[in-house]
Amino acid sequence: MKRLIPFLIRLLLGTVFVAAGALKALDPAAFANDVARYGMVPYPLVNLVALTLPWVELSAGALLVLGVWKRASALVIAGLNVVFLAAISVALVRGLEVCGCFGASVARKASPWSLVEDAVFLAAAAWLAWKSED
Amino acid sequence: MRRILCQALLIVVLGSAIGLVVNWFSPRRIPWLRPPKMKLAANDLISLEQATVLWKSGEAIFLDARPPTAYADGHIVGALSLPIESFDVFFPKVQPRLATDMMLVLYCDGEHCDDSHRLLLKLRALGYANTRVLVNGWTRWRSAKLPTVTGEQP
Repeated sequence: MKRLIPFLIRLLLGTVFVAAGALKALDPAAFANDVARYGMVPYPLVNLVALTLPWVELSAGALLVLGVWKRASALVIAGLNVVFLAAISVALVRGLEVCGCFGASVARKASPWSLVEDAVFLAAAAWLAWKSED
Repeated sequence: MRRILCQALLIVVLGSAIGLVVNWFSPRRIPWLRPPKMKLAANDLISLEQATVLWKSGEAIFLDARPPTAYADGHIVGALSLPIESFDVFFPKVQPRLATDMMLVLYCDGEHCDDSHRLLLKLRALGYANTRVLVNGWTRWRSAKLPTVTGEQP
């Protein structure tokens, strides 16, 4: 039990991030539009973020699933979630119709639920980064 | 702790590098730096008021430049889907309903959305001279509580 629960959390969190990263990576142009809509990145750098961020998500998620560099990958995922929480908060305050959370193919706009979702992911990732043994 | 931070940094750097390399070989490649936003002249744009008048009188055709999923989630009543990212696939479906002398109103969503601007250039090049962009059209149309509808293109 003591080992099973962290393992399951690792598997779930990793899978979510692999999926989220892959969906964004599949359509970089659409994801770049979403990034631009948030208006948080200097305009010329929007594409650079849209090209790299999904692959960081994907890499960290995959490592977490595989159980390689568990604490470091959980730390990266926690960091990404802090960024996502900030971005979604801004979107909600400004009333933007954007999420981009799971790529543009899953059209969904940011809602307070997205914040809850990200907060749960953040808690899980932080806990893994803290507790896992390498 | 230091080792973990180094590993985390490595994940970020290597992940980013993979993303840039994959993009290099991808058929869906986009430039690393986003080209500056297109500047449109005043007569390339249409105000929400003018657009509403044209919409009510049925004098203009509205074209939705956003991705098909966004169109299905909700669009201006009567608007046709012409996503800029898949222009070549969608244009043949839309073309029979257009004429080069028609007024075409293009929209996407968000102040920063470039899709309708790019669509304008494509359509102008094809001879559709009376084409205008309704900037931030979807959001403004909805804020003004003008009629919208969901569903895919018939």
